[in-house]
Formats: sequence, structure tokens, C-alpha cells
Amino acid sequence: MVWRSAPSLLQALKLLEPSLLNISRKGRLLNGRLQQHVIVFNGLSKRTLHNTASLRVAKIMSLDEIFARKSLQDYLKQVEHEYNHCLNAVNTSELEEYPGEEEQRVKRTKVSLLRPVIQSITELRAKEKEMTETEVLLKDEDQSLRELAEQEREACLKDIKIFRQKILDLIIPEEDADLNDLVLEVTAGVGGQEAMLFTAEVFDMYQGFAHYHGWSFDILEYMSSDLGGLRRASASVSGGQCYKKMKFEAGVHRVQRVPKTEKQGRMHTSTMTVAVLPQPTEISFSINPKDLKIETKRASGAGGQHVNTTDSAVRIVHLPTGVVAECQQERSQIKNKEMAMKVLRAKLYSMKLEEETSKRYQQRKIQVGTKGRSEKIRTYNFSQDRITDHRIGMTVYDLKNFLLGEELLEEMNSSLQDFSNQEALLELLGEND
Amino acid sequence: MWRRRVLSEVFTFMGSCRNKKSQFIGASSSVRACSCPALPVHRITALQAVNSWSQHFQEKGVSEPDLSSRYITAHVLGAKTIEGIKAETLSRLLSPEKTQQIWKLCAKRLTGMPLQYVIEEWDFRDLTLKMRPPVFIPRPETEELVEFVLSDLKEKTGSLSILEVGCGSGAISLSLLKSLPWLRALVFDQSEDAITLTKTMLQLYHLDILKEEEAILSLCNGVQALVSNPPYLYTEDMASLQPEVLRYEDPAALDGGTDGLVVIRQVLNLASKVLQNHGRVYLEVDPRHPPLIQQWAESHREEMHYVETKLDFNNRPRFCILQKAETNKDRKQDLD
Repeated sequence: MVWRSAPSLLQALKLLEPSLLNISRKGRLLNGRLQQHVIVFNGLSKRTLHNTASLRVAKIMSLDEIFARKSLQDYLKQVEHEYNHCLNAVNTSELEEYPGEEEQRVKRTKVSLLRPVIQSITELRAKEKEMTETEVLLKDEDQSLRELAEQEREACLKDIKIFRQKILDLIIPEEDADLNDLVLEVTAGVGGQEAMLFTAEVFDMYQGFAHYHGWSFDILEYMSSDLGGLRRASASVSGGQCYKKMKFEAGVHRVQRVPKTEKQGRMHTSTMTVAVLPQPTEISFSINPKDLKIETKRASGAGGQHVNTTDSAVRIVHLPTGVVAECQQERSQIKNKEMAMKVLRAKLYSMKLEEETSKRYQQRKIQVGTKGRSEKIRTYNFSQDRITDHRIGMTVYDLKNFLLGEELLEEMNSSLQDFSNQEALLELLGEND
Repeated sequence: MWRRRVLSEVFTFMGSCRNKKSQFIGASSSVRACSCPALPVHRITALQAVNSWSQHFQEKGVSEPDLSSRYITAHVLGAKTIEGIKAETLSRLLSPEKTQQIWKLCAKRLTGMPLQYVIEEWDFRDLTLKMRPPVFIPRPETEELVEFVLSDLKEKTGSLSILEVGCGSGAISLSLLKSLPWLRALVFDQSEDAITLTKTMLQLYHLDILKEEEAILSLCNGVQALVSNPPYLYTEDMASLQPEVLRYEDPAALDGGTDGLVVIRQVLNLASKVLQNHGRVYLEVDPRHPPLIQQWAESHREEMHYVETKLDFNNRPRFCILQKAETNKDRKQDLD
């Protein structure tokens, strides 16, 4: 259950003010068409947000709306044109003298790259044609024919939707790291013990999220505080598309509630930070062992049979960059070393990716990477039992269930994904709304 | 003498407990007087237990005081490390039984017993092994020795058999078996205690390489590798060992004679007889040994070519690898 009845307008305005300030401070205008206050999820249902006139909410377009845009149609035509041009060049060259080897090779590659999209476009056009033909039959006098036509139309609509989604999936550029595993890091921010308690809850939520998706969740580091809170923790997460989803969780999460430690019942705001680092595969990213300095407790003294110690903590420093990773999660030293290497690789890879993708994300609302690290992305308000994501202005209710990291978090995460895809698409089409 | 501490309202002191043999503290009457704190009267949290025992250990000069209290508490709570326990659980009150268990184990640690013997287990690579005195506690360096052996063995095809001299807790061979389940391992140790701890997936023999070489030879022919972490300390260094090592671990697992090479030389002798052609021997040694071993092999065991010295993670020469040259006296692989 996502929507519930709204509080009074005045109350809502007061509580929403911080998030409004946030949005306007960044100077980013949300889509002008937002005054409609409509949110559409996956093109399925329309729900109205009946809180307040001044809440600006991100609009996620439906498939129909996207395909109605001239810019997309133009783009698809452009793709078709390019494909045909390359195909012609490749075919005719077999008959005539070759214009240039390199050029031919490029054209051939383009043909094979574009073929899947073209195929989907052709299939879509065919279905659309089929549908117009079916619609003619809808006006037929014969009742049974009309019913048959109705069924046909339904089937056509379904197929059209599938083809449209397929086309979008093919043309929206995917991030290199989307297929990777990741290292998740949580750190308590402002707010002392209360922030640390909240950090523990958020870490548990992501553990639940990993479980919900069938990902593995191996804790690499876990520094707890005196009152059962969490100062810092990190985990290695792997499984299908985990980075693709989890990347939207990075940033500063804010909690507003009366802390357990509070005696006078005052409301506090505390923060915690989530960082999501993609983990490179062995082949794609290698580190020279000579660049590493590995520190252990056994460094002093004779080592070996001389000494018995239980201190198996390992600290690795990457000398060229100064990046450090440490681990004392396990009793086995070699295991701690492996875990520390995992974290180090993720950190270094993340730095490398940053350089490559920072330009791409410059203009976007949803920031991924270090730029997004200090952005306040979400507020968890316990007294109102709501979670608001500030990037798309989406609010979900039922905190207790949200913190389980199951359907509710998945819903919010999917919406973020949809919106990010949309931003990528609009960028591709050369529109900057 | 006990000093009052901040948590004094939690602990009550039942006078001097020197005379009392508290039922909770299972330590046998030892050289030291029992100077351990009494059980708390009120229930405490795991974190409080960890903090207070850290302090006790520090005051009594127990080595690695923080780690000791954390590992013991984690162990009682069913985890390997304190980092493996949820923050929430750590701040929950402990049951009286768990509190007693923590106190019992910590009291043992107070006597200077190595932590691994106190909790009766420790990790080695992917395994958790049983630990009981006086069986030698595996050192982290040896985890790397296994890594080198594994990388060589993984390349080999066909049936594999290895020999381990001085298996102790079985760490090396059990680790190799975990990664290469089809491996055949024959392990030897002169100590009865060592054998009882290792599992039966190995072929175990209670034989002393210094005295019963013939018996060992009769049991094996043509192995691809011989691995050993033999006693390699110099006798003169034995006296300066940590008290907990001296008092609890088997000196026979540590003392390698005047030059630390007594057992090593015998291992190399054995290697030249049991290894197949091109078979290798892998040794963990004292940092001073590699050049000495190389010299000795060249003059006494020509068929054993010195391949290389490997460094441990502290960049100390720690591992020696030698390979048996091709001879026409190669024994066929004929294991019984």
C-alpha cells in the first residue's frame, strides 16, 4: 500500500519545506509539465499525488508518450537511414572496387551493431500496421467479427508494447559497470549515536534487499558502536544486475525522528552516507603487485614459528594513488588480505570509471558516482511514516516495511531506474528538458 | 589489588577471591593465584563484557588484551569475530549462561593460555581447525605456503599424491585437500597428540622422521610433492620465546637444533628418496636458512636442485622450494 490520505495542507507544507528548499537550492527546474502532479509507473497506472500544490514531482513518461515524441521518431528514422546506407555500401562493394578497407570494416561493424534495433523497428512497424487494419474491423457490422477484432487489437497492443520496450532497451546506452558486482559502504554521518543506529537499520535494509533479489551479501567490514549502532560497514554484493539497481542508492540518507536516546521527546535529523562501488572483473582491471604495500601485525619481530598472534588484520596501501583498504573481518589473515584486495580494487576501479563517466552525468538529475556522494537523496520521516526520494520527488509510506528492503524499496528503486533511463534517452535524442 | 572502576556498580567484589575457588572459574590451581573478577551481579551486554575484560587483560599483562576479549565473546555468541555480530545483538543483555561461559574462557586466558587453545579452534585459510595443547598452532605465514603448493599442483594432471612431514593440526594437508579433493595425502608426525586431532581423510602415521625413516619409506613411493613446516627455530632462540608459546606449545614442533636445520636436513634426505622425478619439496623455514639450505643441498643432495626462495608477506625469506632432478633411479608410482 503506497498512498494514504494526506495530512492537512499547512502541515504538509511545513514538513515539505526542507525538501523544497533542497530542490530549489540546486537550481534545477523539474519538468514544466509537472504542475499536473501525475506519476506514472511503467506506463501502467496513473495515481494522483494529493498532498500540496507546491510539491514538484518528477514525471516518468509512459511508453506511449515517449513514442509519441517527434525526436524519438526522428532518431529511429536516422538509425534506419544509417543502417541502409551502410548495408548498401557493404553489398555493392562486392560488385565494385573497394573504396577503402578500413571504411568497409567500420561499415560492416555498424551493420551488425544496428541490426537488432532495425529488426525490432521493423517488427514494431509491422505490428502497428496490423493494428490499423484490425481497427477497421472494429467498426464492422458483424458482432462476432467485432469481438474477434477486439481480441486481436488487445494482442497487438501487447506486442507493440514489448517491441517498444525492446527498442528502448537497445538504444539507451548502458553503463559499462552495470553488469558488475559491487562493494557497498555505509558510514554514519551527522547525529552521533542516533546516526549510527540509523546506519545499522539502513545496512540491514540493504541486506534484505540483496536477499530479496537473490544476491549474495558478504560483510567485509562491520564497526559497531557502544549502543548497538553502526559506525561504518561494507559488504561485497554480487548477483544479477546488482550494480545497475544499487547505484541509485548512493548518497546521503536523512532520518527525522525522536531518537531512542532522546529524553525530552524532541525530533532530530541525522544522516548517513551510502557509497556503491562497482567491482571490476579480473580481466578488465589489474593492479601491479609492486604498487602495493601490505601491512600486517606480524611485521615486527621474527615472525613465523617464533610468535603466536591472533591479530590477523590486513591493511593494503596502493602507493601510486594512496588509496587504502583494510580488513579484520576474518580470523584467517590470507582471507582478510583477499577481502581487502576486493575493496581496494573496487575503490580504484571506481576512480577510473569516474573519469570516464563524469562528463556523461554532468547534466543529469540523478547523479551516480562521487558527485552524487554528498547529495541528500532521501528522507526517512518516522513521525509521518514516509520516505521521500528528492531526486524524483517520490514518496512512499510504511517505513517499517520499507526498511525490510523488499517490495517497497524495489518500487522506489525501479522508479529511479525508469527516470534515469528517461534522462539518458532524452540526452540521446538531443533534448535537454 | 583490585581498583574500583567506573563499572563498579555492575560488578561486586566478593572480597579477595584468592581463597575462593569459584565454581565459575574452571581453572585448575595454577602457579598464579586466581585473580580474576567475579561474575557480575546484574546482567550486562556483550559489549560491556568485552570492554571490562579488555581492561582486566591489559592490567594483568595478557598479550593482545582487546583481541582476546573480543574473540572470546564472539565465540560464546556463536560467531568467529565481533565484526560478525549484529550491532543490535552486541547491545542486548547476555543470558547468565553466556556470561558464565565468557567468564570461564576469559579466566583461562588470564593464565596466559594462547587464545586458540582457550576457544579450542582457529581458522586456517578456508578451514576451522580444532586446537588443543600442545599441538602447534598454525601461523599465518603457513597459509601462504599452501598457496604456493596449490598453484603448482593445480597445473598437474593425473593422480596426485603428497607427503607432509610434521602435520600437527593437519592445517597444510587439510587445506590442500579442500581445494583438491582428489589429492592423496600421507601425513606424518612424531607426536601422538597431533594425530588424534586430524581427520581420517588423510592417511595418518605416527612416525618420527629422525628415528624411523625406513618405516616412512616403506609406506610411500613416488609422490609428486613433499610439504613441511618443520621445527626450524634455533635452540638458542627457544628461551626468548613468548611465555605462552613456551608453556603451551610442543617444543618438539619448534626446536630445530643448534642451527635450526636438524629436521630440515632429514626432510631433504627423505625428499630425495620419495619424490618422483621433477617432484618438489616445499619448506617453511627461518629467514636465515635459505642460503644455508642451498649450500647444504648442493654439497650433500646433488639430485635436489634449489629452485627458489619465496618471501612471506613481510618480505622475509620464508619458503624454500627444491626440485628432484631426473635420475634413473626413479621409483615407479606404486602407492599402497
